[in-house]
Amino acid sequence: MGGMKKEKSSSTSTSPCAHLRSDYQRCFNRWYSEKFLKGEWEKEECVSEWDKYRACLAQHLKDDHLIRLLQPESHSDISVNDSQ
Amino acid sequence: MVKAYTQEHVYKHPWERVTSASWRKFTDPENKRILSHILDVDTLNHRLDPLSGNLYTTRAITVHAPGPWFLRRILGQDICHCVESAVVDPRSRSMQVTTRNVSLERFVEVEERSWYEPHREEPERWTVCRQETSIRIKPLSALASMAEKVEQRCAERFLQNSAKGREVMERICKYLESEANGISL
Repeated sequence: MGGMKKEKSSSTSTSPCAHLRSDYQRCFNRWYSEKFLKGEWEKEECVSEWDKYRACLAQHLKDDHLIRLLQPESHSDISVNDSQ
Repeated sequence: MVKAYTQEHVYKHPWERVTSASWRKFTDPENKRILSHILDVDTLNHRLDPLSGNLYTTRAITVHAPGPWFLRRILGQDICHCVESAVVDPRSRSMQVTTRNVSLERFVEVEERSWYEPHREEPERWTVCRQETSIRIKPLSALASMAEKVEQRCAERFLQNSAKGREVMERICKYLESEANGISL
């Protein structure tokens, strides 16, 4: 009947980040309801929570597809092209 | 072979509350028992466009999808990674969420699109969620005879899971409602 199968070993690949993830999610949820939905969208928040969580994901993500989608570290968002 | 399903659900809660709930659906620990097929949800990317106010996010969703033995043998795994992209436009009050599998895509492509919009008749009080799911089994000759079965299973699982998802959404909405009314933690 085959050997013992490891049950969910691969499923918890990012679990070392669980703590940082919930800090970030808590911050995000609050920001979304209390700021974003009320029209305060000029400023990004939860930046330090995000940076720590993102760094952890960069270390622990295994899947190639997902690594490619992870936001690059340098937070130089040049979204506004103020050409004049 | 493509199968497509459309579902619609009206939440008797305002759009702001429903979309807040949608962010918590997979991540609140108390939902883990009902949504036990969701193993991990990680945010990979988020961007806020300061001009339009649009919020863009990309999340990785790891799903536990145990199939029949022959499937596991072919695929060699029973977890599946999906990528969810969401756009929220707070000015027009719309949220669109698209989820697609990134693993096993040689065999099957599943795409689910959901839209959350204010209800036409009760825009301040109710929210409509429209959901379109399409499942496409890749034409692999070796799998041809099984493809129908696989597709059926896949479809059943999706429909089951979206019913569970709605149940969780309703509960979070109620919770957020009571919180807003001051009956807080």
